[in-house]
Amino acid sequence: MNPSARRQYAALLRKDLRLEYRTRETIVAMGLFSLVVTILFEFTVGERIGNTSAIAGGIIWATLTLGAVLGVGRTWVPEREQRVLDAILIAPVPRLVMMMARTTALVLFLLGVQVVVVPLAIVFFVNGTSPASLVLIAGVCILADVCIGIMGALLSSMSVFSRTRELVLPVLLLPSLIPVVIAAGGATDAALSAPRQMAEYRGYCLFLAVYAVIFALVAYATFDYILDD
Amino acid sequence: MTDAAVRRVTALGALTAVLIGASVVGLFLVAPEDNGPGGEGQIQRIFYFHVSIALVSLLAFAVAFIAGAAYLRRPRPWWDDVVLISIRLGLVFAVLTVITGSIWAKAAWGRWWIWSDPRLATYTLVVLLYSAYFVLRSSAEGERQARFSAVYAIIAFISVPISFYAVRIAQSVVHPVVFTSKGAAMPNSMLIWFVIALAGMAALFFTLLQLELIQHRAQRALQEVKLRLERG
Repeated sequence: MNPSARRQYAALLRKDLRLEYRTRETIVAMGLFSLVVTILFEFTVGERIGNTSAIAGGIIWATLTLGAVLGVGRTWVPEREQRVLDAILIAPVPRLVMMMARTTALVLFLLGVQVVVVPLAIVFFVNGTSPASLVLIAGVCILADVCIGIMGALLSSMSVFSRTRELVLPVLLLPSLIPVVIAAGGATDAALSAPRQMAEYRGYCLFLAVYAVIFALVAYATFDYILDD
Repeated sequence: MTDAAVRRVTALGALTAVLIGASVVGLFLVAPEDNGPGGEGQIQRIFYFHVSIALVSLLAFAVAFIAGAAYLRRPRPWWDDVVLISIRLGLVFAVLTVITGSIWAKAAWGRWWIWSDPRLATYTLVVLLYSAYFVLRSSAEGERQARFSAVYAIIAFISVPISFYAVRIAQSVVHPVVFTSKGAAMPNSMLIWFVIALAGMAALFFTLLQLELIQHRAQRALQEVKLRLERG
């Protein structure tokens, strides 16, 4: 990245973070929504099967992904409402830099939610865990968030220009994120199981990394066409 | 419609009729019953349709992927038509794959649905992925509609093998694996009818694609005439 692109990237990211810092709309809504879904899972699934440790990973990632849809859905919306988007699109900023700043902001929002929701969900669903497992799960969160961030930035850039953007985004995003949910849930279960299944954990993490690289390349190849206005 | 287009679609239609007719006769009357050790008997005959429909749906999505990339390079309405029609036909074939797979599951394993079969689960995801294409398309407006559709055709096609792999690592493999890296695990008397059924399905896809492309072109021409008349 050349120095001017780096400055543009930092400015766009700062704008997103400052907007969120002032309003706190996205993170609070995502966090509360994720907690509500977690509790829904407890009453619909947990109450019936008793020991939820074995399925905790799946519940955590289904919850976080549904919460992420809310956050991704807010992407570009403030800019669109205040007509800032027109100014950003006119500005001589490479589309790729916009995409990277948007992805980074999404990853940071998701991590902000997960710092609170994941430990709580582990307390709710898992029967005792070690700090080492938590560190491994933090690694899964970072990898899965990069996947969700890239896919979210890519698809939300299309849905924001659509007539029914709130309806379109979940329909587009959730099927594309199912592989991420499967791998992140599997890696979390592998990290939480006793003894820890490190070979499985590494396999799932590798899958997440490959997913991120493939869709980063797809985003790199197509993003110019999405915001070609 | 030009004479060449008529000739092409007639020839392709005739070839499709011959191939599908031959495959129906062949696989019901000529192909041997699967009576070997672990054989499934008569129900195995659904394999010829099920697998050829599944492969042709992937072919349709591959055509949409290529046409999507071509549209982004050179935005011509024709490429957008190819993306739209290929995905529409591919989705029909994918739904048929899920239905025939479910029938096969009922006969082979006694249940209409088995999540532990990775291919059936993947095709369900594929149906969801490509159904979203139509939601996006109907929601986007103007020139963006074709552009976004092309981008989504690319994203969805790349998601297919990733979804397949994800479902596979999540589950045990219970589906009979017929095609391995060492070749097809079936006798030549079955393989020949499978190849004919596959060719028939592929020909059916290309015939329908041609027909719909002709219809789209006629519709656009009609629109232009209407506009010209309105302007006087």
